[in-house]
Amino acid sequence: MLVRRTYQFLIVYCIGLASLLGLKYALSLSDYVIPSIPLILETAGQVFSDYLRAAFSTLSVTVLGQIISIILAFSVGIAGRKSSWLGSFIRATAYNIQAYPIVALAPIIFILLGDGFLSRLLIASIICYFPLLLSVLGVMAAPVQEIEHFYQATGRMSWQLEVKIRAFENLSKLTTVISGSATLAMAGTIVAEFIAANAGIGYSIRTALYQSDLAKIFVALFLIGIIISLYQGLLENIGQWIIQKKLG
Amino acid sequence: MNTTTTYSLLFFLFVSAFSSVAAWADQQELNYRLKWLFNIGASGDIYAQANGSFTAQGLKVRVREGSPEKNAINELELGRADFGVASADQVIQALDKGAHLVVLAQIFQINPMQWIYRDDQPKINKLADLRGRKVGITFGGNDETIMRTLLTQASIKEKEVKLSGVRFDFTPFFRRKVEIWPVYRNTQGVILKEKLAQEGEGVRFFNPADFGVHFVANSIITSEKMLKEQPQVVKKFLTALLQGWKAAMNPAEENKVLAAVKKMNKNTEDGIMKKQLAITRELVWPASGTIGAINEVAWKQTEAIMLRQGRIKQAVHVEKYLRQQYAQCELTDEPSGTGVLK
Repeated sequence: MLVRRTYQFLIVYCIGLASLLGLKYALSLSDYVIPSIPLILETAGQVFSDYLRAAFSTLSVTVLGQIISIILAFSVGIAGRKSSWLGSFIRATAYNIQAYPIVALAPIIFILLGDGFLSRLLIASIICYFPLLLSVLGVMAAPVQEIEHFYQATGRMSWQLEVKIRAFENLSKLTTVISGSATLAMAGTIVAEFIAANAGIGYSIRTALYQSDLAKIFVALFLIGIIISLYQGLLENIGQWIIQKKLG
Repeated sequence: MNTTTTYSLLFFLFVSAFSSVAAWADQQELNYRLKWLFNIGASGDIYAQANGSFTAQGLKVRVREGSPEKNAINELELGRADFGVASADQVIQALDKGAHLVVLAQIFQINPMQWIYRDDQPKINKLADLRGRKVGITFGGNDETIMRTLLTQASIKEKEVKLSGVRFDFTPFFRRKVEIWPVYRNTQGVILKEKLAQEGEGVRFFNPADFGVHFVANSIITSEKMLKEQPQVVKKFLTALLQGWKAAMNPAEENKVLAAVKKMNKNTEDGIMKKQLAITRELVWPASGTIGAINEVAWKQTEAIMLRQGRIKQAVHVEKYLRQQYAQCELTDEPSGTGVLK
């Protein structure tokens, strides 16, 4: 899965780059608008190690933000799975907050927490959390009648058992959602860094943008793509391993 | 209504419509991309359109807002804009990367990029006074380049000052976490000064030009192709634009200018905007300056700074791309704007 994810990304990246270079040569654009391959390589040589460190800094926040959002999403999803007033309230809140653009919330977060690690973590968690919560709510609120009926009829049903049954029956869906949410967590972290932070690959992109240096942005995009592909591939492998272990 | 009256009316309508279409068709359509959003810093650009300077030259100009993403140089190359506003560092960087540009005029004779600090803090009388201070810079921005030049000039090592990355949120400055904050003197500088005055605090501005660093700000650019193929259009455009700037900087036109800018930017209070215009006037048309004049020495210094800091790979000899003959000539004062550049 890791290798497949990586070469799939490389194909997409190369197609994108080739299209831009095609445009560059078709319209005779300068290196300022679209950098040439030698310039991209030269820039990569200059900034690669710094950008790699920045990308790993972003990844560390991404992983932590995703873990927090998974814990939160499962806690709230389990609490709000009942079609009670609380359940519908949690769902409505999730939908509403998801509708707010993070760029509007970010200044408030930065005023409260400053532009350091915590703000990045919080924004990554927020972006990753709500789609996860909605998926968890969807899974947890849908009864598995054919199994749950037996335990209900025999009076042995508890909330823990209910959660286990629903999670087990939707294991494949949940692992897919969790691995998929990695991209959201990464996007959230980059957005936070882009808006206001002093570290991470999003911050590097912002600096490059101020300098109108598209070659640096290409290098950053390459690293983001590779790292997220590897991370997502790893999560998918773990998910498959869990499914195989549980389902035999 | 009798038949004769009806026919007369129809004939009149036809003639009116035809002449309007003909007049419209005569106008040449041009796109002009600004560097930033509509604000007082673009008052001359806005006023050139509002007071009919472009129309008088037979031009129909679409003035569009810019941003770091909506870069005038990119737009020129992609053929989406015919003229644009770019800062000197953008122009020099683009020339370094093979762009075919020319500079027609320099709007700001004094760079509005300055730093603000409270007057209860030690005054910066000499560059060495920056030592030990907490200074805000936008990493990757113009102000970073300028500040690093100032520090080098004063032989101040980076560890001897505390450089903090800044953004559009002024909280660190309000909370005194950053002592010296970068601002555009004529826009943010006025707003911050007002806000602090409300809290009973006074401010000072630190202008790099006072310490010999003349880093050129916004200038009017076009492509070499445009200048070569349509020099008359370039003349007309520049004539109209500089007339717009000249009128906008004329205190007698203040109310009209403010009304025109207000139409495009409703978020700024009238009182603030008036003060912003007064400061803009000092930066665009200083007592000893000419509207639009290109300061070649400052351009060369800007290039030298960028070369020294590794922002360009080799000297581009920017003076070759400055079209003094357009920028340093005086406009005719005819109100109709015949557009002859002397």
